[in-house]
Amino acid sequence: MSQTTTRSIADHFADQVERQPDAQALLWEGEPISYAELKGLADSAYSEIESARLPDDRPVGIRAKKSPEAIALILASLRAGKSFLLPSIELAPETLAALFAQAGVSQVLSPHGPRSESAASLRALVDEARAAPETSDSEWPPVGGGGDVTFMLTTSGSTGLPKIVPLTAAGVDAFTDWAAAQFEIKPGTVVANYAPLNFDLCLLDIWTTLKHGGCVAMVDQDRATQGAYLADLVNDNQVNVLQAVPMLYRLLIDVNREDGRTFPSVRHVITTGDKIPPSSLAELPTLFPNARFYNVYGCTETNDSLIHEFLGLADGNVPTNIPVGQPIPGVIARVQTDDGSALEGTGTGEFMVWTPFQTRGYLKSSLNEGKFVMLEDDGGRTYYKSGDIVRRHDDGTLTLEGRADFYVKVRGVRVSTQVVEQAIQEHPAVIEVAVIAVPDELAGARLHATVRREADAKLNSLQLRQHCATRLARTEMPSTIQIVTEPLPKTSTGKVDRKAVAAELERSRANG
Amino acid sequence: MDETTAKIKAFIVEEFMPDVPVEDLDDDYDLLTGGVVDSLGLLKVVAWLEDEFDIGVDDSELGPDSFRTVAAIKAYVDQARDGAHAE
Repeated sequence: MSQTTTRSIADHFADQVERQPDAQALLWEGEPISYAELKGLADSAYSEIESARLPDDRPVGIRAKKSPEAIALILASLRAGKSFLLPSIELAPETLAALFAQAGVSQVLSPHGPRSESAASLRALVDEARAAPETSDSEWPPVGGGGDVTFMLTTSGSTGLPKIVPLTAAGVDAFTDWAAAQFEIKPGTVVANYAPLNFDLCLLDIWTTLKHGGCVAMVDQDRATQGAYLADLVNDNQVNVLQAVPMLYRLLIDVNREDGRTFPSVRHVITTGDKIPPSSLAELPTLFPNARFYNVYGCTETNDSLIHEFLGLADGNVPTNIPVGQPIPGVIARVQTDDGSALEGTGTGEFMVWTPFQTRGYLKSSLNEGKFVMLEDDGGRTYYKSGDIVRRHDDGTLTLEGRADFYVKVRGVRVSTQVVEQAIQEHPAVIEVAVIAVPDELAGARLHATVRREADAKLNSLQLRQHCATRLARTEMPSTIQIVTEPLPKTSTGKVDRKAVAAELERSRANG
Repeated sequence: MDETTAKIKAFIVEEFMPDVPVEDLDDDYDLLTGGVVDSLGLLKVVAWLEDEFDIGVDDSELGPDSFRTVAAIKAYVDQARDGAHAE
């Protein structure tokens, strides 16, 4: 049995430096950086951390855009046995400061050294945030102790402050070993890194690769939407493993259509983060003639939990409903029905999961209620409630049905307003749609759809019902449909504001 | 279009889909599958039929098929009135 320690990745990296100092560790802006050179960068960051004499029992904050220096800084923090919070650099300074204060960081590090201007300005913000009464209480250490915590990542935080997710050394170690074995990452393997440095995806792209002696071809964050740049990066560096959100594949498909370029060096193509459209999926074998194709499903809290390999894509075997997959070895998946029992066989329910990689809970322990639940009927194992509703099919594969937040009960049947919206949206004359559940004494809830049609279209509710009849079940059919031509109310992020639509409906009902 | 059918259509459209022209509603359009009339809407339809045509609707007859289309509703109304005359 190998002992895992908080220095696992740093130890492995040191081994790789010894074993193959001249091998490429990183490819950045067309230049290779060897393991020995990366160690040099990490050593100088390590001396800075050591000379700062930071308190042992407190984490540090790292504010860094993706660069070799940033990776060196993380390696140095791992070597120093420091837990570190690595938030997105895109966050507003106030948000960053609040997060750093919540984590109780002793210092905010940046690749340009603790004495740099950007680090100084951040320190001032952290001090300010700490002084403010609402954030003065640090949540560090987390429940279960901070001694074995390494990376602290954050959730995307669509509402409120992003949640801090402390990952243990053992969890990271188990994940990086699984990923290396699954995608054949070893000395000589080139792995592209598309995601920003603070994303959990980097645990595969960057940290699995450096631990196992491969080479990371780093995508410059500022050019992540330039198809030609990305295509060059994959081919010039002979990338073998590619993991990215569907957008990257869309960009490469466009390049392929333009100049016919293919990417024969890639052996493993992984889509993640979002459902890849079947139309994109169908084109992947043309782009990557020598690759195997996978979808992986996971989140920051649990890391990857499900994997699906697409077989026979080249023969046109393209699923319309993309399977999220089957549990990764060691992962325990549970589909929870409404009555709280585990679903046996086929059906739908909320996806709950335990993984060997998962966090012990959010740093702010009050957030754990209802998200991390211990199940007595399962030996007291703590599961993460994903909030995703999944369907289990005959062959055991799971497909995503939608977010639990969008599910309502209509006459005792669980209905997703997202599914209904999607069906309505498919009508060519529909610009946008909001489906809301209106509380109803008898039915529990009835569905109402407010639909904005093209101004010159003649679409009426009867035609829309005919359109939906082949797409929706009876219980999914809206009871009332209102067709409008004005834009629907929007949220600050530009999405249709269902709450505002519901409020408007309520007002118009109240007025008779 | 006979008078009964016209009355039924006018009621359905006014009550359940005011944005739709009456002539767009076919006699054999499936109101239940289309979600125009749900089980609660069905009660409204029955109450209106009893009132408008002065017929009694037995609860046991409240199967969905009797009211699935405008044509079915008309047939039901015709039959109920014939029954009344025969008494």
